Amino acid sequence: MNFPTIKKFSTQALTILLLSELAAVITGPPGSADAPWSGVQGSITQKTSFFGLFIVGRWIFFYAIGIACYVVALSLRKVNSKTSALKTFRSSYNSITDNKYFKPLALVAVAILAILLPTIISDPFWRQAMVSQIAVFILLALGLNVVVGFAGLLDLGFVAFYAVGAYATAWCTGALPMPPIFGSHINPFFTIPIAIGLAMVSGVILGIPTLRLRGDYLAIVTLGFGEIITLFANNLTGVTGGAQGTKQIPHFSLHLGPLKYIWGLDPAPYYYLVIGFVIFFIFIFFSLEHSRVGRAWTAIREDEVAAESLGINPLKYKVMAFAIGAASAGFAGVMTAAQSNYLTPATFTLYLSINILVLVIFGGMGSIFGVVFGAIVIQTITMYLIHSPPAGYQAQDLYIYIGALLVIMMIFRPAGLFPARRRHRADSDASRLEDSNV
Amino acid sequence: MSNLFEVSNVTLRFGGVVSLSDVSLHQKRGEILAVIGPNGAGKTSLFNSLTGVYQPQEGSITFIPKEGEPVSFIGKKPHVISDNGVARTFQASRMFNALTTFENVKIGAESHKGIGALGAIFRGPATRKDEKYSDARTWELLNFVGLRAKANHIASSLSYGERRRLEIARGLATNPEVLLLDEPAAGTNPSEKLELTDLIRKVRDEMGVSILLIEHDMKLVMSLAERLYVLNFGSVIAEGTPDEIRANQNVVNAYLGTTTRDAN
Repeated sequence: MNFPTIKKFSTQALTILLLSELAAVITGPPGSADAPWSGVQGSITQKTSFFGLFIVGRWIFFYAIGIACYVVALSLRKVNSKTSALKTFRSSYNSITDNKYFKPLALVAVAILAILLPTIISDPFWRQAMVSQIAVFILLALGLNVVVGFAGLLDLGFVAFYAVGAYATAWCTGALPMPPIFGSHINPFFTIPIAIGLAMVSGVILGIPTLRLRGDYLAIVTLGFGEIITLFANNLTGVTGGAQGTKQIPHFSLHLGPLKYIWGLDPAPYYYLVIGFVIFFIFIFFSLEHSRVGRAWTAIREDEVAAESLGINPLKYKVMAFAIGAASAGFAGVMTAAQSNYLTPATFTLYLSINILVLVIFGGMGSIFGVVFGAIVIQTITMYLIHSPPAGYQAQDLYIYIGALLVIMMIFRPAGLFPARRRHRADSDASRLEDSNV
Repeated sequence: MSNLFEVSNVTLRFGGVVSLSDVSLHQKRGEILAVIGPNGAGKTSLFNSLTGVYQPQEGSITFIPKEGEPVSFIGKKPHVISDNGVARTFQASRMFNALTTFENVKIGAESHKGIGALGAIFRGPATRKDEKYSDARTWELLNFVGLRAKANHIASSLSYGERRRLEIARGLATNPEVLLLDEPAAGTNPSEKLELTDLIRKVRDEMGVSILLIEHDMKLVMSLAERLYVLNFGSVIAEGTPDEIRANQNVVNAYLGTTTRDAN
């Protein structure tokens, strides 16, 4: 063994040691204010069972797992640099998804599953979660996908439109201190268009002054807008009910001529209503994506100066993206307010904005199927961790898990789980260039 | 021939830096006009002022369309200027890389249509008619520039020469009266250069689109342009036919150089 080999080997060993001990500390016992290092110390020195074989210190346990992972990764790479296991997996994955029968079959399977879901799931926690935490988040992700995925505008305050929709519902049904404009006995069905309309108007109001900014500047301004809406909800006690929020929002109901139906405590009817609107919004967003408007959005996203030189008014299309994206968030707000019967400003935090953004990035920016899938996967993981937490899990650990998932995603599928056709093409093109250089 | 562009006394400053100083020029309808000059002379700044990317502090830019009243371009946004019939290409090609060649051109062909979001969602007869028109127009232009075979290739996979032609097709798709070409031959090989020269002449002859050209390749400029302006340090130092420019001592000193080898 010559010196460079030893150096390389020890560097790798040290890297694995540091990473695995980091994992040990993250998953270890919490510290205390009196002994700040006790958590770190305990994470490393505590005894743990090595898969029931023998008892070792945690640091050895994690180091062993780290080395095992490294060896597995190395062996996968060593099979053949051209046809590594990862690439084989990738190409087989692509050959499945590129099959022309894949899409229709998958759609039918998903539709059947979606219809049967309320009859399959009996656990009350999951019945509730599938509406308020999964279906509603699909709507939010679809809306943000229009803004971030199609038009390429980073919106960190998307939760504002969700809040507008929810508060509009409370307002129309007379649950806010501010008296409703149409009297308190408005047909509740009409809260949907009013809430969606108000969300879209707030999208336009936010959009016109801010969408002149680009990139990071826009992100900061939208972040501010999200905070402004939360602060309004918190402090305008006479209008929104303040930090206490508002109660007694009636369940959603429908009185249209002979039709009369009240959505009650059972989540299943809500589920079907939301899924109906999910399909409605998917139809609209899909049509838009494959129209002149969608192409104009892509053009602005790819090169705003060139798009302008072709006669595309960037401000108009960006505001349109904001308003259209806000529509589905507004509807999500209606459903949340009507189903849970109460609202507090604490729901509409920056974390929620980021949460929605994660769904979009994970699923694949610009890909409708991708963001729906991403929303289902991430929200299901989130709900699972809340419902049956692993030992030692605390609520704030959620972001470690989601963060780790995103890091892995960014390494292996940076364009998301199901990359958008238009983005995917640019990526695969770049990878082809890479391959040809090798 | 009537004038197409009338630019008078345009001055463009960035803080203390004067990029264009008191530039006056005009272009006749149907003319291939070239602007040449050393690097940093203000050629691209002039283009950007004409297309609304930069706003000059002084002077006037008047565009005289085939039909209708003359329009002042000062204070107009780039997309409004495009609506008026001015198309351009960029020095470093700026295509929509994630889109196909076909989609790139189609965006140009449909950008002036009045179909809004509702029309896009509920494909009415008007929308379908527009789509049909822009598809046909796109194929026509791809044929014209010779990129039909590459219609379904992603724009970023094209060669430099093909990118230039794609940009020209995309600009033409907006049905312009004048096409502004910013160094169309940059990065192309000699045979592509010849093709490009033919294509530019064809654009003028067959489509009746006037050409305003910035170019460093003297061979191409001298064979193509009917009239030239020479810019140096933001000012026009000469104007005339290629032969006049070649003989102008100011231009030779500032730009062309003193040996014939450099001029080629």
